[in-house]
Amino acid sequence: MKSVSRRTLLRGAGATLGLPWLELLAAPAAAPIRLAALYMPNGVNVDHWTPKEAGRGFALTPTLEPLAPFKNQLNVFSNFWNANSKGGDGHYVKEAAILTCATIKKTPGADIANGISLDQLAAQKVQMQTPLPSLELGVTPVAIGVDAVVGYTRVYGSHIAWSNATTPLAREINPRSVYERLFGAAHGLEGHAAAMDTLLLDRVLGDAKRLRSEVGVADRLRLDEYLSVMRSLEERVQRSSAGGAKAWKPRVPIDPKGAPTDRPKDHAEHVRLMLDMMAVAFQSDTTRVSTFMFGNAVSNVSFRWLEGVSAGHHDVSHHQKDADKLRQYQLINRWHIEQYAYLLKRLSEMKEGESTVLDNSMILFASALSDGNSHNPHRLPILVSGRAGGRLETGQHFVMGDDAPLANLYVSMLDAFGAPVERFADSTGPVAGLVKA
Amino acid sequence: MKEVLLTLIAISTLAADAQFAGGQAFLNQYCAKCHQVPVGGFALQQVATPESFRAAPHKWTALANRVRNGEMPPKGSAGPSLEERERFTEFVDRTVHTEVCGTGPVQASRAPIRRLNRDEYTATLRDLLDMHMDIGASLPADGAGGEGFDNAAETLFLSPLHAEKYMAAAKFAMDFAGREFKSRYKILVAKPGPGVSPRQAARRIFENFLPRAFRRPVTEADIAPYLALFDAAQKQGHPFEPAIFFSLRGALVSPLFLFRTEPQNLSPQPTPVSQYAMAARLSYFLWGTMPDELLTDLAAAGKLQDPVVLKKLIGLMLRNDRSLEFARRFTEQWLHTREIMGDKAPDAKLFAAYASDEDLRSDIRLQPVLFLRELLARNLSLLNLIDSGHTISTRHLNKLYDVKMPLNQNAATQPQWVSVPEGSHRGGLLGMGAVLTVSSYPYRTSPVLRGAWILDSLLGTPPPPPPPDVPALEVDQPGAPPKTVRARLTQHRANAVCASCHSRIDPLGFALENYDVLGRWRDEEAGVPVDNSGELSDGTRIKGPDALRKVLLDRKDLVIRNLTNRMLGYALGRGLTLEDSCAVDRIVAQVRDNGYQAQALVEAIVTSVPFRYQPGLPQAKETKKP
Repeated sequence: MKSVSRRTLLRGAGATLGLPWLELLAAPAAAPIRLAALYMPNGVNVDHWTPKEAGRGFALTPTLEPLAPFKNQLNVFSNFWNANSKGGDGHYVKEAAILTCATIKKTPGADIANGISLDQLAAQKVQMQTPLPSLELGVTPVAIGVDAVVGYTRVYGSHIAWSNATTPLAREINPRSVYERLFGAAHGLEGHAAAMDTLLLDRVLGDAKRLRSEVGVADRLRLDEYLSVMRSLEERVQRSSAGGAKAWKPRVPIDPKGAPTDRPKDHAEHVRLMLDMMAVAFQSDTTRVSTFMFGNAVSNVSFRWLEGVSAGHHDVSHHQKDADKLRQYQLINRWHIEQYAYLLKRLSEMKEGESTVLDNSMILFASALSDGNSHNPHRLPILVSGRAGGRLETGQHFVMGDDAPLANLYVSMLDAFGAPVERFADSTGPVAGLVKA
Repeated sequence: MKEVLLTLIAISTLAADAQFAGGQAFLNQYCAKCHQVPVGGFALQQVATPESFRAAPHKWTALANRVRNGEMPPKGSAGPSLEERERFTEFVDRTVHTEVCGTGPVQASRAPIRRLNRDEYTATLRDLLDMHMDIGASLPADGAGGEGFDNAAETLFLSPLHAEKYMAAAKFAMDFAGREFKSRYKILVAKPGPGVSPRQAARRIFENFLPRAFRRPVTEADIAPYLALFDAAQKQGHPFEPAIFFSLRGALVSPLFLFRTEPQNLSPQPTPVSQYAMAARLSYFLWGTMPDELLTDLAAAGKLQDPVVLKKLIGLMLRNDRSLEFARRFTEQWLHTREIMGDKAPDAKLFAAYASDEDLRSDIRLQPVLFLRELLARNLSLLNLIDSGHTISTRHLNKLYDVKMPLNQNAATQPQWVSVPEGSHRGGLLGMGAVLTVSSYPYRTSPVLRGAWILDSLLGTPPPPPPPDVPALEVDQPGAPPKTVRARLTQHRANAVCASCHSRIDPLGFALENYDVLGRWRDEEAGVPVDNSGELSDGTRIKGPDALRKVLLDRKDLVIRNLTNRMLGYALGRGLTLEDSCAVDRIVAQVRDNGYQAQALVEAIVTSVPFRYQPGLPQAKETKKP
């Protein structure tokens, strides 16, 4: 018989008092399924990305090699593309749509339009079950300005999570404040403070409703945005307060002394700390949905600190077929995969009864371009790791038909997450053989 | 006389007819294949007559943008050359502009409701509570839209994250204010005592605080709910002061505080914006914060639409220290020099002096900011931006540039307004490290980036986008690629498609090659003399930065028009409309007539129709009479 952790026993015992032992051991409280997306800007060196063999017997390529310890948890997908992100420009139209599969509107801002993103569709389904509906993370602040050459506001290139067609979700980039936010959300407010906050939120919602009736039609949208975020906060304040039938408990408590630095010493440490935060959020069940951006679209963050690299990320991605730049491009790609592997490792070390948090997750890794040199939107580099609580087949290289819709993958992921949809953007159906029946 | 006039009109009509015919020929040649019938909401018939410019200017503008961006005609069909595209779009832009602006009064555009951005929020809390803390630091940074600024209404979104942060910041601010003498003094203007009930004292406090927080006089409808909140807090057992600070915490999360709103104009006629709205427009434009007592008093006295008062006030506001905030936010976003803190930071290993010296970094970053601020405060010519006998320097900058600019040695670490020595190449923005760094790669200079920076930031004519999904340089080159940047770019320009844009970008950048990444002067690079020469597409030869400055001075109308567009966009906190472009014409003319004085620009913006007026409310369409 497999061992059952003491924690599982204790929790199980409390929740299911009176059940026969055997039944308890056979059916431990199902762990929640988590969904995350990691986004890498600027595409990949395609020569070192795609495995040669299809199916289960594929060999990891030099870029994917850091994923060796998790190969049986990994799926590699080839030949997806995002039809709605063709045209437009080289970056924004592709990168803003990586999780929405929509066509963004070319605008300096006034009529910004995208679609709802994969993660937010998932979050809508489970947001009432956790303190935070979702967690948006990054390492660089939103890019400023309007790209005058191509006519898009850089807001597009700085957000992959969109709660609806017109609202991108702001990201946190300071690891310490993420930790404090997670801790605060998990801890909740004690009854009195929650009651006071509720009073206060009622008051400002009142101001907003009055103001809404006084402004023109166009301005009501902004106030609706305000009403929506404040109402959802009020709801969460009430839900998180002690007592109450829906009271939420962390699956693993967050250590009050575990806050990381708010001044990471370099880019590499910064990335790792943010991924740590995602792991903490998932392990504690503070949220089940998260996105992380390694950089904004067109990121030219310098990688000269990386052995063998002498330039910035975007600069190298325009390798012009120069052998040395291609080599550097691959090193940068591989570094990103190492960070992805780091997150998988963290999650795989977090036990959840018989399984691990990784077993109960789906961690997408995506770039919106294949070869960055030509802004090529075909054959996108796409990985998904984790078994989604056993719902996903893993350990395969899925070679799709040419230009298969990326949205098909999202249909399958939403299904495995427990938020099935008929269609997502331009999807034509799920990915065959990915989700277990 | 009358005949001459008629002849002139006839000639200009003929010319206009010929251009219209040319435009139609372009459309027939490149668009007719698909758009004879409506496809994607566009059919040629919609733009087939000269009248359509008046009836459907936005249709024309949208069409010109698709052509300009190279999106239409689509890939795969025979497309126009860049020259044809530009001739066509220039014709459309000019005709639309003439039609929209005409000769009548400039039309106002709608001022959307606008959230305070992070900087404005922080500064407003500072002034509201007399508390010097970066309270907004925990908020996410704001993106930018419109004319490229982070105060643009259209891109100031709200995320669930904001809701949490606003709640936390309000609590933090009020907890802090409750302990600070200065803040308490500002807030607690009454206290309960003999003859004054707690509720009466609370009312007085709210009557004092809420108008400042909401930037307008308040009514009973504003105050009553906060009194109710106070009552509720007391009922929960909170003593007087905590109940006050709790209630005011609500005000700091209220949309009436977080958003700038203006009373709606319900009449069909354009109407001057209200006095208090003017006070807020002025103070957020020139100070980046809430109106002070003077502005509020002037609003109460109804003086803020009076041009004489406005003129005086502008001088006063620009000389006030708070205008530094305007200079900083505007300049750093206009010139993109904020990005030195991000991806554009010079490489730490190659430029150790920069990376290790915080004072130097700060001096470099502040130089263009303080330069613009001095031009404004001293009311000097804006042409100083292109070339100038003065600049801002410090001991650190003198050392970096190896130029002895005459500093007051008692305060040599403080930025100072100094004269530029002859032959030092330090006049104007192009002699400043911040500008030269932000238009470089972190590890080397780039004539392309610098040329594109000049076209975009100074001239307001950004280069056209590279063709979509077409690699810039993926043509297979036989043999090894050439080594120098110039050789590579020369090869690049041999390709006709690349040359069409790079011939206008690269020469501008080459003229700046004497400046290294940090803006230090160099005569040679890696032992090879710097080649700083180039030829513009019109045949003008440029050699070196001083010649480039002369070329830009010849194009001063473009530079001033671009600056006007940016500053008006910043002042209005939104993208400019077609109607605004008519206001820009007049502002530019006013600035020129005033010898390009810096304050003339601000004055012309503040007294312009879009800054001072709200448009009329569009009325329901009248039913057609039979």
